[in-house]
Amino acid sequence: MTADMRRSPGPSPADPRVVGGLDYSIDHHVPGAWHLRLVRSDVAAGRVVDIDTTGVESDVTIITPADVAAYGTFGCQIADQRVLAAEPKFAGDPVVAVVAPTPEAAREAAASIQLDYDEAHGVFNEFEAATASAPLVHTSHASASGDAAYFAMRPLDGTNVCHRFRIRTPELRGYDEPELIRELPPLDDATMSDAFAGSDIVVEETFRTPAAAHVPMEPHATTAQWVDGRLEVITGTQTPFNLRQDLAALFGLDPADVRVVAPAMGGSFGAKTFMRTEAITAVAAAFTGKPVRCVLDRDEVFSEVTRHASTVWMRMGATREGRFVAKQMVAYVNTGAYADCGPGVAQKLGYAGVGPYRFDHVAVDSYCTYTNLPPAGAFRGYGAMQSAWASERLVDMLAGELHIDPVELRRMNLLRDGDAFCTGEIMHDTHFEELLDDAAKAVAWNDGRDGKGVAIILKGMQTPSRAEVAIHALPDGRFEVRSATADMGQGAPEALTRMAADVLGVPPEHIVVPPPDTDLAPYDTRTTSSRSTHMMSRALAAAADDLRANGTVGHGRIVNDGGLDPDTGTGVASSHWHQGAAAAHVDVDDETGIIDVRSLYATSYAGRVVHRAAAELQNEGSMIMSLGTALFEELTYVDGQLVNPNLSEYNIASALDGATIHHRLLETPGAEVHGLGETAVPPVPPALGNAVASLGYHPCRLPMTPERVLASRVHPRQEAP
Amino acid sequence: MKITLSVNDRSVDVDVAPSTMLVDVLRDELGITSARATCGVGLCGTCTVLLDGRPVSSCLLMAPLAIGKRITTVEGLPDDDAVVRCFSERHAFQCGFCIPGMVLTARDMIDTGRANTPEEIREGLGGNLCRCGCYVKIVDAIEEAAR
Repeated sequence: MTADMRRSPGPSPADPRVVGGLDYSIDHHVPGAWHLRLVRSDVAAGRVVDIDTTGVESDVTIITPADVAAYGTFGCQIADQRVLAAEPKFAGDPVVAVVAPTPEAAREAAASIQLDYDEAHGVFNEFEAATASAPLVHTSHASASGDAAYFAMRPLDGTNVCHRFRIRTPELRGYDEPELIRELPPLDDATMSDAFAGSDIVVEETFRTPAAAHVPMEPHATTAQWVDGRLEVITGTQTPFNLRQDLAALFGLDPADVRVVAPAMGGSFGAKTFMRTEAITAVAAAFTGKPVRCVLDRDEVFSEVTRHASTVWMRMGATREGRFVAKQMVAYVNTGAYADCGPGVAQKLGYAGVGPYRFDHVAVDSYCTYTNLPPAGAFRGYGAMQSAWASERLVDMLAGELHIDPVELRRMNLLRDGDAFCTGEIMHDTHFEELLDDAAKAVAWNDGRDGKGVAIILKGMQTPSRAEVAIHALPDGRFEVRSATADMGQGAPEALTRMAADVLGVPPEHIVVPPPDTDLAPYDTRTTSSRSTHMMSRALAAAADDLRANGTVGHGRIVNDGGLDPDTGTGVASSHWHQGAAAAHVDVDDETGIIDVRSLYATSYAGRVVHRAAAELQNEGSMIMSLGTALFEELTYVDGQLVNPNLSEYNIASALDGATIHHRLLETPGAEVHGLGETAVPPVPPALGNAVASLGYHPCRLPMTPERVLASRVHPRQEAP
Repeated sequence: MKITLSVNDRSVDVDVAPSTMLVDVLRDELGITSARATCGVGLCGTCTVLLDGRPVSSCLLMAPLAIGKRITTVEGLPDDDAVVRCFSERHAFQCGFCIPGMVLTARDMIDTGRANTPEEIREGLGGNLCRCGCYVKIVDAIEEAAR
């Protein structure tokens, strides 16, 4: 019955994704699999004092925190999470797992289990979490040892700060400074007064972004089984090798005894990175001796991992002529109950907030703070959006004070080839001026400024990182490309196919690209930070050379060194830079505060384009997602309880929102391939915010809901510079 | 209960609880994975199927309510369907998870003469969400298919 209902294979012009012919993680079934449901904490903080399982049928396996106490902690950058929580740290933290022969039986069992708690006070705001009186979410800090912990952690013991990232340009080093800034420093603060001494005008403001949801259309879906002492996991993940390493550590296995297969994902945007449901599913498979399948409900997806809420305070000084002198930034990044990759987000948010500009002096403190909210992790843009929102809004504030055109002010200060970034690295392959001019032109900047705004950003690519690929010559004359680059909809197999065909000089039909399988594919850091097309393009070229030299199998390996010192920010933040700009033209109804987007434009540096349609879709998709970020997306918590975990109360952009979108890929013939997965995300909210501000408002908080826009009205209306 | 459904012009017998949603019957009993439950509340359109040619949310429709009606999934569209062709040629997809529902909604819009302008198409797609944000190319594809 099953097979013959599917579309018959054979030549067809239809793409499998259009006609339901592609199997996602959720479509992979292992025969005989049992079904896992999680019983989650109702309280945001506390201790479970009783687990009442009397209503559970006898054929259901129940796994409690006590049952899994022998397993250690895990976490990609900080080992702070347990398989099940005896002391839940957010509302939704898994406390008990039930495993049953059918999904219905598992659901019934989970619903019948009653938990009793000794509830504790929680802390929910990232800034409050950093105050001295805040309850501690974790009492100690333990850095992880896996590949994802690629820089030294700077936890501040006795606080909720699990990582502190600092930038201090050379003349700002050596001062006696507090470990944790709990009050925003006054301008005459001895440490920084020198930095701003050369400034005629100084502006400062605090900007906020809320937690947000990735909303992959496909929920997290994982199947785990133990085969001859080896663990096999089929799961939608952007990080197959990180997952293999973390699972191996959890079970005390050699990583080679863990197999991770990553089928195509129905969207991810960062939601399916590092350890998610895989640990408990693998534990359940070990407990039951059966394959176990875990598929999250939509409301669970909303709390599985989120985007970091953040509070970003920023100060900028410039000369009367408009030359940028100094920037100071203190950011609090809300990583929720478990750090996940929050330390990395704090770092990248930290340097992205400096923006693509020259400064004499830069001081950044970026604190990744625990709270009793669901964990925040990777999210398209990886912190760059949150700090670009602050940075680019502040540039417009400065332009207003200086009475200098905001585009002109930016142009005067943009980084150009040979300039040093605040990290000390020398910029190369910069295209900021062209991007800025292109964005300004798109909204006819010189024909009147009212309702118009621009923004320009830089965003790093994961550095350090390593990409490996193997090309196997098949007996039938085709070539199999074995790569751990995961397909979350960005078109990874298509891009690998085209790039492999290109370097091998064969038609694309001769290339086969199976899904990532850690038993077959060589190591790759992960499919994040818009790195994979770029890194794999270089690894494939090396693999093709090797294949030509060695006959049947070619290996390619590319290593990008770099990284930043966590105390000074010195080093190489990114081996090359994602560069983008956006422009917006809006109307604001001054009675309702509703923003009408007349035009939204983004322009991203692409280098060389591998797959035009896919590249365009990355730009369009980034813009549309970020439009939602700018205008309406927000996870709302009341005392740590998420009140909108569904698509009727958490709105995402629809076709109706996409009508005014235009964009461009800035290409350079023969240039390096640049990733495009996120470049258009960070500049969209500040471009819209600056457009709104030009009409006499002062938006500092995302999303710019009508109420907030009205509340930000500046009286009397500011005159355009 | 044992029910007989007409799926893609074939008669199929299934034995399911009366409250089983149609999307679960299609996926779990018939192996048709193009219908996908995403939001579970009939908002996102990922589970869209055609019932006597009109789009419905199969995540909200109890399977017995489809007895005696023609159920069409994207697998049941003809091989030369213009919507399928235009979505494929214009690369109007990224992950593709929402696309079968989009295609079926578009098929109905075109069949009922409600895909005449981009504005009309966007309006008609209001109940089909694509988190990858492929709307620009999706609207273009439907516009072309409608011609």
